[in-house]
Amino acid sequence: MKSNELYPPYIHSWKTSAKSTWICSGTLAPLVLWSAYLYGYKTLFVWLVSVLTSMGTEAIVSAFTKKWTLGDGSAVLSGLLLAAIMPPAIPLYIPCLSAAFAILVVKAAFGGLGSNWMNPALAGAAFAYVNWPKAMHEFVLPRVITGVDGISASSPLSFIRSLSGGADLRIMEALKSASYPLSGFDIKVTQFLNDGFFSALGSQLPEGYIDLGLGFKPGALGESALVVIIIGSVFLLSLKLIKSIIPLTMLTVFSVLVRLFGTGLPGEYLFSGDVLFALFNGGVLFAAFYMAPEPVTSPSGKLDNFVYGLILGVLCYVFRRWAAKPEGAVYAILIMNVLGPSLEKMLDSIRKAISQHRQAKR
Amino acid sequence: MKIRGFKHGGIDSMHRVSFEAKSIENAFLPLNALISLRNGPGLAEAEAVVKLGDQVLEGQLLARSTGANSSNMHSSIPGIVRRITQIKDAGSFDSLAIKISLDGSFSVLGKRPERYRWKALNKGDIGYLAQDKGVVRVSTGEPLYPALSKMSVKQEYTLILNVLELDPYSRVEESLFRLRTMDVLDGCAIAARISKPSRIIIAIDERYSAKTLSKIREAIDSCELDAKLQLFKHKIPQDHPRQLALALGINKDDIFIVEPSSLISLHEAIVSNKPHIEQYVFVGGGAIKHPAVLKARIGSPIGDLIEECGGFTSKPYTIVLNNPFTGRAAPDLDCAVGKTTRAILALTESEAKPAPERPCIRCSDCYEVCPAGLKPFLLHKLIQLGKIGEAKAIGLDRCISCGACAYICSSRIALVSIFDTAKKADKDRGQN
Ligand code: SF4
Ligand code: SF4
Repeated sequence: MKSNELYPPYIHSWKTSAKSTWICSGTLAPLVLWSAYLYGYKTLFVWLVSVLTSMGTEAIVSAFTKKWTLGDGSAVLSGLLLAAIMPPAIPLYIPCLSAAFAILVVKAAFGGLGSNWMNPALAGAAFAYVNWPKAMHEFVLPRVITGVDGISASSPLSFIRSLSGGADLRIMEALKSASYPLSGFDIKVTQFLNDGFFSALGSQLPEGYIDLGLGFKPGALGESALVVIIIGSVFLLSLKLIKSIIPLTMLTVFSVLVRLFGTGLPGEYLFSGDVLFALFNGGVLFAAFYMAPEPVTSPSGKLDNFVYGLILGVLCYVFRRWAAKPEGAVYAILIMNVLGPSLEKMLDSIRKAISQHRQAKR
Repeated sequence: MKIRGFKHGGIDSMHRVSFEAKSIENAFLPLNALISLRNGPGLAEAEAVVKLGDQVLEGQLLARSTGANSSNMHSSIPGIVRRITQIKDAGSFDSLAIKISLDGSFSVLGKRPERYRWKALNKGDIGYLAQDKGVVRVSTGEPLYPALSKMSVKQEYTLILNVLELDPYSRVEESLFRLRTMDVLDGCAIAARISKPSRIIIAIDERYSAKTLSKIREAIDSCELDAKLQLFKHKIPQDHPRQLALALGINKDDIFIVEPSSLISLHEAIVSNKPHIEQYVFVGGGAIKHPAVLKARIGSPIGDLIEECGGFTSKPYTIVLNNPFTGRAAPDLDCAVGKTTRAILALTESEAKPAPERPCIRCSDCYEVCPAGLKPFLLHKLIQLGKIGEAKAIGLDRCISCGACAYICSSRIALVSIFDTAKKADKDRGQN
């Protein structure tokens, strides 16, 4: 194209799809490092295998379609997101096959970037859950707690579910009384906070929340460090790289429901669910900020996004409460990916009806 | 004061390049002037009244208006008619053009200005003068007088003096209004005499400093013009007629928008008897050494003007004529200043921020900025599929071609030009 055949407008916003995707991937870098710190350097291979496979698959697809698309970064991002859902000690063939499935079947077969009707990373995750349910639910304890790598344990969420309910304790206390491992750091910090701050307020922070927040617990790679996820998402929100309405509505609705009805864990009664525990477990935050607002599969328009986030929040809650699987958020988003277009159509026809009604009145 | 603005969409986060013209410089006379006989797409050509080899004086009539869609064209320099040729102007309108080579002395143009001369003239006299001197509406290129006088039959209508310049670069109207406030306001009074508006609104950017505002207010008070100053939000495309009407809450058929540069040329035609042969042009953009507002002769090659501003500091990526959102790219440095040229912007690559086109990812940023509330990504998809009918059903015709969607699109899809092409094709089909 000669430069004098340019089209208006002649200036553009700084954002390009490639840039936003790379920035988004960049915000995941601290998460990668943090998971390596928590579970040992071997976890880096999970990230690496997942990213390389999706890049490789994308390259092969590119070669067939004669459209070079690796530069837009979307394959790397999909690989990272997929790896984030994997448990630390997963056998490497699982992220490899899932990534290939995600790119080849979900993305490329439907016409590449922009035409996929499901979030490729999420579909890859679901693929893994369905095929290797056992491996996908085997977590390990971080080395800060045990001092060595690779001691397997169940995640706090499934652990507490296995406890017999009815105890008169809050979740954290129940965990502790069942001698669920805590890090020394948590015990110190909690004590410090309680002495200096919470005691003044006449309340007490139970031990364990600090661990959850920093990811000192068994869990998937990406749900591990909440603090890091939150920092990353603040970046995304402030650069307007994601549709903020979706995660915010989703998390609000989810928290409110948890607070009101609890998640069926010991020590939760009506109107006193443990919101922090619910948010810190099961990767809800990660899914809300990195998966749910993915542009291709989420609707357009403020109202549509609001409704989308709302239903997502409800679904997440339902899965958490009754399906008792940690990956509830993943399924919730997949379901909404599929329902999204019909939701949009429905809202459109409602809007049309309203405007026609108004015109008829006039 | 209440700041008005339209509600839905628009872009307000754009960085504005800082520039304030201290004065308006006279550009040198060009050695050759290429004067196009058509002022814009969709307008008519004036009919040439000179022959090859004729000696012409500065300000002498070259071509006569053939109706409401063309204006008299005058020679901007004294010289010899070298060529009468067809030129292809970028932006896809062809025109006959007359090339004059500078020759001979130039007379002192126009009479000594008499500020209040117009007060003694009636509407017909003013109209005759304006038409004779080839005064046009600088924003569109159509003759100013017929358009204005059409409004006078309306019971109620609002005359808007549009000083808004919202893109990061344009500065002509702002500079003219600031540096030649009295002339602009007198021009406005003349326009009001022609068209008898029920009210006059001066549309000003909310970002003007309090000092500038109070100066403007003083000037308005001193000249007894019954005009109201109104601040508008700094948001693209607030300067578009539809958005102005929307922000004011009136029907867009009940407003007439005129800009300072048109009023200056109207004022000069009436008060100094001077034909419209000069044009106020802002030369700027990141690749220009010393950005400036120049008073240039119509027909000057844009390369000459850029040269006068110190030339390029770096290689420009594009050279844009007028607004970077709705303007057009200059085909080369020889293309000439016309009656609608208000800015020459040499943009560097880092300002233009081009990127390879990617598939739409439905991020709906375009929907968020569209002032008409359309879903550009849907329009685009439907047009690609050839479903023009469906695209019209969801509002293709309501698109005002502001360019906001294509500015924001991170996949760099040329949304607005695709819509323009589709609209034009549809219109052509309708006519056949
Ligand atoms: S801004 Fe571009 S990529 Fe985003 S929805 Fe609109 S057309 Fe698609
Ligand atoms: S050019 Fe048309 S579709 Fe694009 S933002 Fe402007 S009005 Fe909307």
